[in-house]
Amino acid sequence: MKIWKKKKRIMTIVIGGILASMLLVGCGNKQETSSGQEEEKIGGELNLFTWDGMFPREVLSEFEEEYGVQINYANFDFDEDMLAKLETAKGGDYDVIIADDYIIELAIQEGLVQKLDTEKISNLGNVDQAFQGQFYDPTNEYSVPYGAGIPLIVYDPNVIDIEITGYADLWNPALKDNLALIGNYRVVNGIVLKTMGKSFNETDLEVLEESGKKLKELAPNVRLISDSNTQDYLISGEAAAGFLYTSQVTLALAARPELKVVYPKEGLGFGIMAMFMPSQAPHAEAGKAFINFILRPEISARCFEYIGYVCTNREAVPYLSEEMQKNLALPKEAADGEFIMEIGSAANEVHERIWTEFKAELD
Amino acid sequence: MKNRTKIPNMFLIIILVIMYLPILVIIVYSFNASKISTVWEGVSLRWYQELFRDRSMMEAVRNSLILAGLSCINAAIIGTMAAVGMMRISWKSKGMIAYFSTIPIMIPEIILGMVFMVFFSFLGLPFGMVTLVLAHTAFCIPYVFTMVRSRLIGMDVSLEEAARDLGAGEIKVFFTITLPLIAPAIVSGMLLSFAMSFDDVVISIFVTGATTNTLPVKIYTQMKNGVSPEINALSTIMLLGTILVIGGSEVIRRKR
Amino acid sequence: MKGIKKNRAWLLVIPFYFYTIIFVILPLAYMILLSFLRRAEIWGVTKEFTLDNYKNIFEPVYLNTFVESLKLALLCTTFIVFLGYPFGYFMAKLSEKWKNRVVTLLMIPFWTSALIRMYGWIIIFRSNGLMDRFFMAIHLTEKPLRLLYTYPAVVVGMIYALLPFMILSVYSSVEKLDWSLIEAARDLGASSVHAFFTITLKLTMPGLLSGIVLTFIPSMGLFFVADILGGNKIVLVGNLIQEQLMKARNWPFAAALSVVLTILTSLILTLYRKVAKVRELEGLF
Repeated sequence: MKIWKKKKRIMTIVIGGILASMLLVGCGNKQETSSGQEEEKIGGELNLFTWDGMFPREVLSEFEEEYGVQINYANFDFDEDMLAKLETAKGGDYDVIIADDYIIELAIQEGLVQKLDTEKISNLGNVDQAFQGQFYDPTNEYSVPYGAGIPLIVYDPNVIDIEITGYADLWNPALKDNLALIGNYRVVNGIVLKTMGKSFNETDLEVLEESGKKLKELAPNVRLISDSNTQDYLISGEAAAGFLYTSQVTLALAARPELKVVYPKEGLGFGIMAMFMPSQAPHAEAGKAFINFILRPEISARCFEYIGYVCTNREAVPYLSEEMQKNLALPKEAADGEFIMEIGSAANEVHERIWTEFKAELD
Repeated sequence: MKNRTKIPNMFLIIILVIMYLPILVIIVYSFNASKISTVWEGVSLRWYQELFRDRSMMEAVRNSLILAGLSCINAAIIGTMAAVGMMRISWKSKGMIAYFSTIPIMIPEIILGMVFMVFFSFLGLPFGMVTLVLAHTAFCIPYVFTMVRSRLIGMDVSLEEAARDLGAGEIKVFFTITLPLIAPAIVSGMLLSFAMSFDDVVISIFVTGATTNTLPVKIYTQMKNGVSPEINALSTIMLLGTILVIGGSEVIRRKR
Repeated sequence: MKGIKKNRAWLLVIPFYFYTIIFVILPLAYMILLSFLRRAEIWGVTKEFTLDNYKNIFEPVYLNTFVESLKLALLCTTFIVFLGYPFGYFMAKLSEKWKNRVVTLLMIPFWTSALIRMYGWIIIFRSNGLMDRFFMAIHLTEKPLRLLYTYPAVVVGMIYALLPFMILSVYSSVEKLDWSLIEAARDLGASSVHAFFTITLKLTMPGLLSGIVLTFIPSMGLFFVADILGGNKIVLVGNLIQEQLMKARNWPFAAALSVVLTILTSLILTLYRKVAKVRELEGLF
C-alpha cells in the first residue's frame, strides 16, 4: 500500500559529490530549456495532488516558467483520502495526481481516470518496461510510473549483535525495544505472513488470525511505529533496526553509510506509485505538458534523487549520480517481489483488528 | 508571612516556564543552520529567507487568515443575533437547538471533519474556501453564542427598558445600549473563534479543496515528512506578530 | 406591541436555527444513518442495513480501546486538576495588572500551531535531546533515558495541550468569588484550610467541573498527541476512528465508533449539568 509514501529532501543530507553532480544536471537542463519548447506557453493553472515533498521546488518552478503555468500543489495524507476527494469532485478539480498502485486500480474502476494522450506525452517511451503492464493498469493506458519501492530491513550492526537475514530475525530478543516499524498494517502483517511462508495477499481468515498471534509476539521489540520519517529514528539512534520504505532506506544510508540493508530472504514486497490524470481534469493541456516534462530524463533524474525511490525512468539513469545509481537501481531480488493488492473487506477487517490488537500489546 | 505569597508566585512561574519551554525550543531551532533538527550547526537566518521565497507557504498563510477572518465574522453575526434573539423568544425548541449548536466543539474534531466531508459532497458543494468557511463557522458560532449569552444573562435589563420607555426604537436600543454592553463578549468570542479556526487541522483536511491549502494542513502534511525548519521560522514570526498585536493594543488602551 | 417585538426576535434566531439544523443536525443524522450501513467489498458503502458495526465495537480489542481512552483521559484530567486549580486560584489573587498579564501569557501559545508545540516536546524528549542532556549534565543518569514514545510522554503532551482550559475556567470562577464570605468564616474562627474546603472549593466547583469537562472530553479525541509523542503505540478512540476512516476505509464502523463516542460525551455533559446545576459551561463560555 503506502510503501512509497515517504520521500525526502535527500539533496541536503547527501554530501558534496552529489551536490556537484546535481549542479551539472542543473546546467544540462538549462541548455535544454533554451533550445527546446520555447513557443509552448500554455498559461493558466495546474492542480497537482499528491503527498507533500514529491518534487524538488526548483523542478516545479522551472515548469511554471517554461509553460507560464501556475502550479497549485495540494497534499493528501493517505491514498484513501485522495480517492475520497477525487470521488466527491467527480473526477474534476485536479489535473495530475500521484498515488499508489492499488488505489489507482480502484480509481480506474470507478471511472475517475482519463486515458493518457500518447501524442502529447511523447516521453512515455522513457519509462522502463520492467515497471509497465502491472496489475493496476495492465495496458498502460491510464498511468505512468513515478517511482517504485520495496520495504526493507535496515539495522545498525554496532548495536545489534546478531546478523539479520530475513523477517524472522526481527523477533530475536537481541532487538528488544529497538525496532522502528512503518505504520502500514498490510505491509507489517504481510511480513508475518511471509515468515509463515504465505503471501502478502493471503485471504484465508484462519491463517490471518494465526499471523495476528505471531505479530503480537513482536511487541517487546517494537520501539515505535511511524509512517513518516521512520529513518530519522535510525539516524538519531532512537532505534537500532527498522523496517522501512525505500525512500527512507535511501535517506538512512545517505546519513549513516555504516547501516546495513537486508533484502529479507523470505521474499520482498513491491509497489509502484504512478501519475494519472482525473477524467474531468480542468486544465488537461497543462496536465499533459506536466507529465511530459517530468518524464524528461534530466528532470526525472533530479526528482528521483530527491524522492529516493527506485528509478522507473530508463532514460534518467545516466543522469543520476554514481552513488544514487547504486541506491535507486532495481535490485535483482525484486524480480519476484509481490504487489500488495485488494483482498476484500472480510480479510481487511481481520487485518485491521490484528493491527489494533498488536498496538494494544505495545506501550 | 512573606513565604505565603512567594510559594504561589513560584508555582505560577514554574508552570508558565514549562508551558513556554517547547515554544522556546522552536524559536531557538528556527535559527539553526542545519536542516536536521537533531544537529546544531550554528546560527543562521537561512530558514527565514527560504520561508519568504516559498510561495505556497505564503499562500497557505493568506488562506488561513482569510478563512479565520471570515469564519469569526460569520460566527459573530449569527452568534450575536441568536444570543440576543433567544432572550426574547419562548420557543420550546430553543434549549434543544442551543444544545445542538454546541456539539461541534464538544465532539472530537475528526467526527465533525468526516461528517462534513460526506455531507458537503452529498450537497454537491465544490471543495475549497466555501466549504472551509461553512465548516469553520459551524464550530465558531458556539464560542460567540455562549459568551454573548452568558453576558446577556448577567446584564441589567433595566437600562434597555428605560431607553424603550423614553421612546427609543428597537433597533436604536440595540445599537446604543445593548451592543456596547455585550461588545467585550463578542470580541472575546471572535478572538477565540479566530484562534481555533486558524489552528484547525483535522476538519480542514477533510473539507479543503485543490487550490486552498491552509497553514495548519500544510504543517501537518509536512510534519509527516519531517518538519522543515521553515515552519519553525514561521511559528516564530507568528508568535512575534501576536506579541506585537497584544502589546500594541495594551499601549493604546493605556493611552486612553 | 409585544407580539410585534416577538416577531422581530424570531428573525434574529432564524440564521442560527438554519445553520444548526443544516450544518450540525443533518450531518449528525447522516452519520447515524451511515453507522447502520454495510461497507462495500472494496470501496464505499452499500445500502444494506446492518447492526454489525455496533456488534463489532464489542470485540474485546475495540472495547478495550474505549476503556484505555477513558483511563488515559481520567489520568490526564487528574493531573490537570491538581496543576490547574491552584494555578487558576493563585492567579485570581494576583493584582489586576498581573492578572491581565498572566491571561495574555496563557493565550499566546494558542496562536502558534498546536502541532508545532508538540514538535517542541519531541526535541526536548528524544534520546540525547535536551532533557537527556540535562539529566546527564547533573549526573542523574548515565545513558539516554528514552523518554519519547512512552506513555508518560503522551500524558505530558495531553496535559500540556489542555491545561490552559482548566486554568481559565477555574480562574474565572475564583474571580467571581465573594471574598467577604471567606473573611467572615475566618473571623468566626475557621482555619484557612477549613475555610477553603467548606467555602472556596464549594463556590468554585462550577469552574472546576467545567474545567474537567473541557479537558476530559477532548483528551479522548486528541489523536495527534498519541501519534506524535506516543510513537503510534497507544490507540485511543480518536486514533481508531482516524485509522478506520483513512486506512481501513471502513466508514460505517468509523461512524458507529463516532456515534458511541458522541453518546459518551453527551452523557458526561448531562452528568455535569446535573451535578453543577448550570446550563452553560463556565469559564471559557
